Amino acid sequence: MKWTSNFVSSYLRTVNFVAICLLALALIIMGPQLTPLVSGTVVTVLYYPFSKIKTSIVNMMGVAEENARLQLLLREATLRLSNLNEIQRENVRLRSVLNFEAPPGYSLVPARVISITGTAVPISAVINKGSRSGVTPGMPVINQDGLVGRVVSSFEEVATIELLTNPTHRVAARVAESREMGIVRYRTHEGLILDNFPILGRIEVGYQVLSSGLGGTYPAGLIIGTVRSVERPSEETFCRVEIDPAANFNTLEELFVLRERRQ
Amino acid sequence: MKLIPYVIYLILMAFHAVILQGVTTIFTASLNLPALIVLAVAIYKDDIPATWFGFVAGLVAFAGGPPEQLGWQGLIMALLALGACQVRVRLNLDSLRAKLLLVLCGLILHNVVVLLMSQADGFLVNVFTYAVAGAVYTTLLAWVFFVLKERVITVERIKAIF
Repeated sequence: MKWTSNFVSSYLRTVNFVAICLLALALIIMGPQLTPLVSGTVVTVLYYPFSKIKTSIVNMMGVAEENARLQLLLREATLRLSNLNEIQRENVRLRSVLNFEAPPGYSLVPARVISITGTAVPISAVINKGSRSGVTPGMPVINQDGLVGRVVSSFEEVATIELLTNPTHRVAARVAESREMGIVRYRTHEGLILDNFPILGRIEVGYQVLSSGLGGTYPAGLIIGTVRSVERPSEETFCRVEIDPAANFNTLEELFVLRERRQ
Repeated sequence: MKLIPYVIYLILMAFHAVILQGVTTIFTASLNLPALIVLAVAIYKDDIPATWFGFVAGLVAFAGGPPEQLGWQGLIMALLALGACQVRVRLNLDSLRAKLLLVLCGLILHNVVVLLMSQADGFLVNVFTYAVAGAVYTTLLAWVFFVLKERVITVERIKAIF
Protein backbone atom coordinates (compact mmCIF):
# COMPACT_ATOMS: atom_id res chain seq x y z
CA MET A 1 0.00 0.00 0.00
CA LYS A 2 2.77 2.31 0.98
CA TRP A 3 4.65 1.38 -2.14
CA THR A 4 1.55 2.19 -4.22
CA SER A 5 1.16 5.52 -2.51
CA ASN A 6 4.83 6.35 -3.10
CA PHE A 7 4.56 5.23 -6.69
CA VAL A 8 1.47 7.39 -7.29
CA SER A 9 3.09 10.32 -5.58
CA SER A 10 6.24 9.90 -7.63
CA TYR A 11 4.16 9.32 -10.77
CA LEU A 12 2.19 12.54 -10.15
CA ARG A 13 5.40 14.54 -9.82
CA THR A 14 6.70 13.05 -13.03
CA VAL A 15 3.44 13.69 -14.87
CA ASN A 16 3.37 17.25 -13.70
CA PHE A 17 6.96 17.86 -14.62
CA VAL A 18 6.52 16.18 -18.00
CA ALA A 19 3.43 18.29 -18.62
CA ILE A 20 5.38 21.44 -17.83
CA CYS A 21 8.21 20.34 -20.08
CA LEU A 22 5.77 19.60 -22.89
CA LEU A 23 4.14 23.00 -22.54
CA ALA A 24 7.50 24.68 -22.53
CA LEU A 25 8.57 22.60 -25.51
CA ALA A 26 5.38 23.57 -27.32
CA LEU A 27 6.12 27.22 -26.64
CA ILE A 28 9.68 26.78 -27.85
CA ILE A 29 8.84 24.79 -30.97
CA MET A 30 5.62 26.57 -31.91
CA GLY A 31 6.94 29.92 -30.79
CA PRO A 32 5.61 32.15 -33.58
CA GLN A 33 2.07 30.77 -33.20
CA LEU A 34 1.78 30.33 -29.45
CA THR A 35 3.96 32.94 -27.79
CA PRO A 36 2.07 35.99 -29.14
CA LEU A 37 -1.11 34.47 -27.70
CA VAL A 38 0.45 33.81 -24.29
CA SER A 39 2.43 37.01 -24.00
CA GLY A 40 -0.46 39.01 -25.47
CA THR A 41 -2.86 37.63 -22.87
CA VAL A 42 -0.43 38.24 -20.01
CA VAL A 43 0.39 41.74 -21.17
CA THR A 44 -3.28 42.61 -21.68
CA VAL A 45 -4.50 41.16 -18.40
CA LEU A 46 -1.61 41.90 -16.05
CA TYR A 47 0.71 44.49 -17.54
CA TYR A 48 -1.72 46.86 -19.24
CA PRO A 49 -3.64 48.00 -16.11
CA PHE A 50 -0.37 48.82 -14.37
CA SER A 51 0.89 50.50 -17.49
CA LYS A 52 -2.19 52.74 -17.44
CA ILE A 53 -1.60 53.51 -13.76
CA LYS A 54 2.02 54.34 -14.50
CA THR A 55 1.01 56.60 -17.37
CA SER A 56 -1.49 58.36 -15.11
CA ILE A 57 1.15 58.84 -12.42
CA VAL A 58 3.65 60.20 -14.94
CA ASN A 59 0.97 62.51 -16.36
CA MET A 60 0.02 63.69 -12.90
CA MET A 61 3.65 64.41 -12.11
CA GLY A 62 3.87 66.29 -15.38
CA VAL A 63 0.75 68.25 -14.53
CA ALA A 64 2.17 69.15 -11.12
CA GLU A 65 5.41 70.35 -12.71
CA GLU A 66 3.52 72.30 -15.36
CA ASN A 67 1.30 73.80 -12.68
CA ALA A 68 4.34 74.95 -10.71
CA ARG A 69 5.89 76.40 -13.87
CA LEU A 70 2.67 78.23 -14.78
CA GLN A 71 2.31 79.55 -11.23
CA LEU A 72 5.80 80.99 -11.51
CA LEU A 73 5.00 82.54 -14.89
CA LEU A 74 1.78 83.97 -13.48
CA ARG A 75 3.63 85.55 -10.57
CA GLU A 76 6.18 87.04 -12.95
CA ALA A 77 3.44 88.32 -15.25
CA THR A 78 1.54 89.84 -12.32
CA LEU A 79 4.67 91.57 -11.10
CA ARG A 80 5.43 92.83 -14.61
CA LEU A 81 1.86 94.08 -15.01
CA SER A 82 2.08 95.87 -11.68
CA ASN A 83 5.34 97.52 -12.78
CA LEU A 84 3.78 98.52 -16.10
CA ASN A 85 0.79 100.05 -14.33
CA GLU A 86 3.13 102.03 -12.11
CA ILE A 87 5.12 103.15 -15.15
CA GLN A 88 1.88 104.17 -16.86
CA ARG A 89 0.84 106.25 -13.86
CA GLU A 90 4.29 107.84 -13.73
CA ASN A 91 4.06 108.55 -17.45
CA VAL A 92 0.76 110.37 -16.97
CA ARG A 93 2.23 112.41 -14.13
CA LEU A 94 5.39 113.28 -16.02
CA ARG A 95 3.39 114.27 -19.09
CA SER A 96 1.36 116.66 -16.96
CA VAL A 97 4.51 118.35 -15.62
CA LEU A 98 6.26 118.39 -18.96
CA ASN A 99 5.00 121.82 -19.92
CA PHE A 100 5.32 123.20 -16.44
CA GLU A 101 7.18 126.51 -16.39
CA ALA A 102 8.96 128.25 -13.58
CA PRO A 103 7.86 131.69 -12.39
CA PRO A 104 9.81 134.56 -13.95
CA GLY A 105 13.30 134.88 -12.49
CA TYR A 106 13.42 131.32 -11.24
CA SER A 107 14.62 128.02 -12.63
CA LEU A 108 13.25 124.61 -11.76
CA VAL A 109 15.30 121.90 -10.07
CA PRO A 110 13.30 118.70 -10.51
CA ALA A 111 13.43 116.37 -7.53
CA ARG A 112 11.83 113.18 -6.36
CA VAL A 113 10.42 112.61 -2.89
CA ILE A 114 12.41 110.00 -0.97
CA SER A 115 10.44 109.98 2.25
CA ILE A 116 7.61 111.81 3.95
CA THR A 117 7.23 112.41 7.67
CA GLY A 118 4.09 113.12 9.63
CA THR A 119 1.55 111.22 11.65
CA ALA A 120 -1.89 112.68 10.89
CA VAL A 121 -0.78 114.67 7.83
CA PRO A 122 2.60 114.86 6.13
CA ILE A 123 4.54 117.79 7.54
CA SER A 124 7.96 117.33 5.98
CA ALA A 125 9.57 115.45 3.15
CA VAL A 126 13.03 114.51 1.97
CA ILE A 127 13.93 114.97 -1.70
CA ASN A 128 16.77 113.50 -3.70
CA LYS A 129 18.38 116.80 -4.59
CA GLY A 130 20.71 118.70 -2.32
CA SER A 131 23.45 121.30 -2.29
CA ARG A 132 25.22 119.54 -5.16
CA SER A 133 22.23 120.50 -7.33
CA GLY A 134 22.16 124.03 -5.95
CA VAL A 135 19.37 123.42 -3.47
CA THR A 136 19.80 125.57 -0.38
CA PRO A 137 17.59 126.27 2.66
CA GLY A 138 14.78 128.76 2.11
CA MET A 139 14.10 127.81 -1.50
CA PRO A 140 10.41 127.38 -2.36
CA VAL A 141 9.21 123.96 -3.49
CA ILE A 142 6.28 123.48 -5.81
CA ASN A 143 4.74 120.83 -7.98
CA GLN A 144 2.59 121.08 -11.08
CA ASP A 145 -0.47 121.84 -8.91
CA GLY A 146 0.88 124.56 -6.67
CA LEU A 147 2.96 125.49 -3.67
CA VAL A 148 4.23 122.62 -1.56
CA GLY A 149 6.62 124.13 0.96
CA ARG A 150 10.19 125.28 1.35
CA VAL A 151 13.61 123.78 1.86
CA VAL A 152 14.69 123.91 5.49
CA SER A 153 17.94 121.98 5.36
CA SER A 154 20.15 120.87 2.56
CA PHE A 155 22.86 118.24 2.36
CA GLU A 156 25.04 117.17 -0.51
CA GLU A 157 22.55 114.78 -2.14
CA VAL A 158 19.30 115.33 -0.25
CA ALA A 159 17.29 118.13 1.23
CA THR A 160 14.46 118.39 3.74
CA ILE A 161 11.30 120.30 2.91
CA GLU A 162 8.89 121.84 5.34
CA LEU A 163 5.44 121.34 3.84
CA LEU A 164 2.57 123.81 3.96
CA THR A 165 0.79 121.35 6.20
CA ASN A 166 3.30 121.91 8.99
CA PRO A 167 1.34 123.90 11.64
CA THR A 168 4.33 126.18 12.29
CA HIS A 169 4.56 127.19 8.65
CA ARG A 170 3.20 130.57 7.47
CA VAL A 171 2.85 131.91 3.95
CA ALA A 172 2.02 135.48 3.07
CA ALA A 173 -0.93 135.16 0.69
CA ARG A 174 -3.22 137.17 -1.51
CA VAL A 175 -6.63 136.45 -2.94
CA ALA A 176 -6.20 136.45 -6.68
CA GLU A 177 -9.53 138.05 -7.49
CA SER A 178 -9.62 140.77 -4.83
CA ARG A 179 -5.87 141.21 -4.29
CA GLU A 180 -6.50 141.36 -0.55
CA MET A 181 -3.97 139.69 1.69
CA GLY A 182 -3.80 137.30 4.60
CA ILE A 183 -1.62 134.60 6.03
CA VAL A 184 -2.01 130.98 5.10
CA ARG A 185 -1.32 128.41 7.76
CA TYR A 186 -2.37 124.95 8.67
CA ARG A 187 -4.45 124.00 11.66
CA THR A 188 -4.55 120.36 12.55
CA HIS A 189 -8.32 120.10 12.91
CA GLU A 190 -9.37 122.70 10.34
CA GLY A 191 -6.87 122.18 7.56
CA LEU A 192 -5.38 124.98 5.53
CA ILE A 193 -6.83 128.38 6.46
CA LEU A 194 -6.37 131.97 5.39
CA ASP A 195 -5.78 133.86 8.59
CA ASN A 196 -5.86 137.57 9.25
CA PHE A 197 -8.20 138.27 6.36
CA PRO A 198 -10.36 141.35 7.08
CA ILE A 199 -14.00 140.67 7.73
CA LEU A 200 -15.01 143.25 5.20
CA GLY A 201 -12.59 141.95 2.60
CA ARG A 202 -13.92 140.62 -0.70
CA ILE A 203 -13.62 136.88 -0.71
CA GLU A 204 -15.92 134.09 -1.88
CA VAL A 205 -15.88 130.38 -2.22
CA GLY A 206 -13.90 129.36 -5.27
CA TYR A 207 -11.51 132.29 -5.21
CA GLN A 208 -7.90 131.41 -5.75
CA VAL A 209 -5.30 132.05 -3.05
CA LEU A 210 -1.76 132.85 -4.20
CA SER A 211 1.49 133.65 -2.51
CA SER A 212 1.86 137.42 -2.17
CA GLY A 213 5.63 137.54 -2.44
CA LEU A 214 5.87 139.48 0.83
CA GLY A 215 8.25 138.12 3.40
CA GLY A 216 10.85 137.16 0.85
CA THR A 217 10.59 133.40 1.01
CA TYR A 218 8.11 132.76 -1.76
CA PRO A 219 7.81 134.57 -5.05
CA ALA A 220 4.49 136.15 -5.78
CA GLY A 221 1.84 134.27 -7.72
CA LEU A 222 2.36 130.68 -6.61
CA ILE A 223 -0.98 128.92 -6.31
CA ILE A 224 -1.68 127.85 -2.74
CA GLY A 225 -5.26 126.71 -3.06
CA THR A 226 -8.90 127.57 -3.54
CA VAL A 227 -11.31 129.01 -1.01
CA ARG A 228 -13.56 126.25 0.31
CA SER A 229 -15.64 128.16 2.89
CA VAL A 230 -15.92 131.66 4.26
CA GLU A 231 -17.40 132.60 7.62
CA ARG A 232 -17.85 136.18 8.83
CA PRO A 233 -18.60 136.14 12.57
CA SER A 234 -20.07 139.50 13.53
CA GLU A 235 -18.13 139.79 16.78
CA GLU A 236 -14.70 139.17 15.21
CA THR A 237 -12.31 141.24 13.17
CA PHE A 238 -11.22 138.61 10.67
CA CYS A 239 -12.98 136.11 8.46
CA ARG A 240 -12.64 132.35 8.90
CA VAL A 241 -11.52 131.17 5.50
CA GLU A 242 -10.81 127.54 4.76
CA ILE A 243 -8.75 126.62 1.74
CA ASP A 244 -8.48 123.50 -0.34
CA PRO A 245 -4.75 123.18 -1.03
CA ALA A 246 -3.81 123.03 -4.68
CA ALA A 247 -1.20 120.37 -4.08
CA ASN A 248 -2.24 116.98 -2.80
CA PHE A 249 0.10 116.36 0.10
CA ASN A 250 -0.75 112.69 0.29
CA THR A 251 0.53 111.94 -3.20
CA LEU A 252 3.71 113.94 -3.43
CA GLU A 253 6.22 112.39 -5.82
CA GLU A 254 7.81 114.75 -8.32
CA LEU A 255 8.59 118.21 -7.02
CA PHE A 256 10.43 121.28 -8.26
CA VAL A 257 12.70 123.44 -6.21
CA LEU A 258 12.61 127.05 -7.33
CA ARG A 259 16.12 128.36 -7.70
CA GLU A 260 16.52 132.08 -8.23
CA ARG A 261 18.32 132.93 -11.44
CA ARG A 262 21.39 135.01 -10.82
CA GLN A 263 21.71 138.10 -12.92
CA MET B 1 -9.37 29.68 -3.12
CA LYS B 2 -5.96 28.08 -3.06
CA LEU B 3 -5.11 29.83 -6.30
CA ILE B 4 -5.72 33.35 -4.96
CA PRO B 5 -2.27 33.78 -3.33
CA TYR B 6 -0.59 32.65 -6.54
CA VAL B 7 -2.65 35.10 -8.57
CA ILE B 8 -1.64 37.83 -6.16
CA TYR B 9 2.02 36.85 -6.59
CA LEU B 10 1.62 37.08 -10.36
CA ILE B 11 -0.04 40.50 -10.07
CA LEU B 12 2.84 41.58 -7.82
CA MET B 13 5.32 40.45 -10.48
CA ALA B 14 3.50 42.43 -13.16
CA PHE B 15 3.32 45.45 -10.87
CA HIS B 16 7.05 45.22 -10.28
CA ALA B 17 7.84 44.72 -13.95
CA VAL B 18 5.80 47.74 -15.04
CA ILE B 19 6.12 50.25 -12.23
CA LEU B 20 8.81 49.32 -9.71
CA GLN B 21 11.54 47.90 -11.94
CA GLY B 22 13.14 51.25 -12.70
CA VAL B 23 12.66 52.65 -9.22
CA THR B 24 14.17 49.70 -7.38
CA THR B 25 17.26 49.33 -9.57
CA ILE B 26 20.45 50.56 -7.90
CA PHE B 27 23.24 51.07 -10.44
CA THR B 28 23.66 47.61 -12.02
CA ALA B 29 21.82 45.71 -9.30
CA SER B 30 18.22 45.11 -10.19
CA LEU B 31 15.66 43.28 -8.16
CA ASN B 32 14.79 39.80 -9.49
CA LEU B 33 11.39 39.68 -7.85
CA PRO B 34 9.91 36.86 -10.00
CA ALA B 35 12.73 34.47 -9.09
CA LEU B 36 12.52 35.52 -5.44
CA ILE B 37 8.78 34.85 -5.31
CA VAL B 38 9.23 31.50 -7.04
CA LEU B 39 11.97 30.52 -4.58
CA ALA B 40 9.86 31.66 -1.63
CA VAL B 41 6.93 29.59 -2.91
CA ALA B 42 9.29 26.62 -3.37
CA ILE B 43 10.50 26.96 0.21
CA TYR B 44 7.06 27.13 1.77
CA LYS B 45 4.89 25.06 -0.61
CA ASP B 46 4.92 21.57 -2.09
CA ASP B 47 6.94 20.82 -5.16
CA ILE B 48 4.06 20.29 -7.63
CA PRO B 49 2.26 23.62 -7.10
CA ALA B 50 5.62 25.34 -6.77
CA THR B 51 6.80 23.92 -10.10
CA TRP B 52 3.60 24.91 -11.86
CA PHE B 53 3.75 28.34 -10.29
CA GLY B 54 7.37 28.65 -11.40
CA PHE B 55 6.39 27.84 -14.96
CA VAL B 56 3.54 30.36 -15.02
CA ALA B 57 5.68 32.95 -13.24
CA GLY B 58 8.34 32.54 -15.92
CA LEU B 59 5.72 33.19 -18.61
CA VAL B 60 4.34 36.21 -16.76
CA ALA B 61 7.69 37.72 -15.85
CA PHE B 62 9.10 37.45 -19.36
CA ALA B 63 5.92 38.13 -21.33
CA GLY B 64 7.38 41.43 -22.38
CA GLY B 65 10.68 39.82 -23.49
CA PRO B 66 11.70 38.16 -26.75
CA PRO B 67 8.92 35.72 -27.82
CA GLU B 68 11.32 32.92 -28.74
CA GLN B 69 12.62 32.81 -25.15
CA LEU B 70 9.23 32.61 -23.45
CA GLY B 71 9.11 28.82 -23.31
CA TRP B 72 12.67 28.64 -22.04
CA GLN B 73 11.99 31.18 -19.35
CA GLY B 74 8.98 29.21 -18.15
CA LEU B 75 11.01 26.03 -18.10
CA ILE B 76 13.92 27.65 -16.26
CA MET B 77 11.62 29.04 -13.58
CA ALA B 78 9.90 25.69 -13.22
CA LEU B 79 13.28 23.97 -12.84
CA LEU B 80 14.34 26.61 -10.34
CA ALA B 81 11.24 25.96 -8.24
CA LEU B 82 11.65 22.21 -8.50
CA GLY B 83 15.32 22.38 -7.62
CA ALA B 84 14.68 24.64 -4.63
CA CYS B 85 11.96 22.29 -3.40
CA GLN B 86 14.25 19.29 -3.73
CA VAL B 87 17.08 21.04 -1.89
CA ARG B 88 14.69 22.17 0.84
CA VAL B 89 13.22 18.67 1.28
CA ARG B 90 16.45 16.73 1.05
CA LEU B 91 18.52 19.04 3.27
CA ASN B 92 15.59 19.73 5.58
CA LEU B 93 16.28 23.49 5.64
CA ASP B 94 14.89 25.26 8.65
CA SER B 95 17.30 27.97 9.61
CA LEU B 96 17.06 31.47 8.21
CA ARG B 97 20.66 31.41 6.96
CA ALA B 98 20.13 28.16 5.08
CA LYS B 99 17.06 29.58 3.39
CA LEU B 100 18.91 32.75 2.50
CA LEU B 101 21.80 30.72 1.11
CA LEU B 102 19.36 28.73 -0.98
CA VAL B 103 17.74 31.90 -2.24
CA LEU B 104 21.12 33.50 -3.04
CA CYS B 105 22.32 30.44 -4.96
CA GLY B 106 19.01 30.17 -6.80
CA LEU B 107 19.07 33.83 -7.75
CA ILE B 108 22.67 33.72 -8.95
CA LEU B 109 21.91 30.60 -10.98
CA HIS B 110 18.82 32.17 -12.51
CA ASN B 111 20.56 35.44 -13.29
CA VAL B 112 23.48 33.63 -14.87
CA VAL B 113 21.20 31.50 -17.03
CA VAL B 114 19.21 34.56 -18.13
CA LEU B 115 22.51 36.28 -18.89
CA LEU B 116 23.63 33.31 -20.98
CA MET B 117 20.37 33.39 -22.90
CA SER B 118 20.79 37.07 -23.67
CA GLN B 119 24.13 36.21 -25.36
CA ALA B 120 25.63 39.52 -24.29
CA ASP B 121 29.34 40.22 -24.69
CA GLY B 122 31.64 40.22 -21.66
CA PHE B 123 29.96 37.37 -19.87
CA LEU B 124 32.28 37.23 -16.84
CA VAL B 125 32.08 40.96 -16.24
CA ASN B 126 28.31 40.82 -16.53
CA VAL B 127 28.16 37.92 -14.08
CA PHE B 128 29.67 40.06 -11.36
CA THR B 129 28.18 43.42 -12.26
CA TYR B 130 24.67 42.23 -13.00
CA ALA B 131 24.04 38.63 -11.93
CA VAL B 132 25.82 38.55 -8.56
CA ALA B 133 25.02 42.16 -7.68
CA GLY B 134 21.35 41.65 -8.50
CA ALA B 135 21.25 38.38 -6.58
CA VAL B 136 22.80 39.92 -3.47
CA TYR B 137 20.43 42.88 -3.65
CA THR B 138 17.43 40.58 -4.02
CA THR B 139 18.68 38.39 -1.17
CA LEU B 140 18.61 41.43 1.10
CA LEU B 141 14.94 41.80 0.30
CA ALA B 142 14.52 38.05 0.91
CA TRP B 143 16.13 38.49 4.32
CA VAL B 144 13.58 41.15 5.24
CA PHE B 145 10.81 38.91 3.95
CA PHE B 146 12.00 35.85 5.92
CA VAL B 147 12.53 37.90 9.07
CA LEU B 148 8.93 39.05 8.92
CA LYS B 149 7.57 35.72 7.75
CA GLU B 150 9.38 33.71 10.44
CA ARG B 151 8.35 36.32 12.99
CA VAL B 152 11.93 36.97 14.01
CA ILE B 153 10.94 40.64 14.17
CA THR B 154 7.39 41.43 15.18
CA VAL B 155 5.55 44.59 16.10
CA GLU B 156 5.40 43.40 19.70
CA ARG B 157 9.16 42.93 19.84
CA ILE B 158 9.78 46.35 18.35
CA LYS B 159 7.39 47.87 20.90
CA ALA B 160 9.19 45.97 23.67
CA ILE B 161 12.50 47.63 22.70
CA PHE B 162 11.02 51.06 23.27
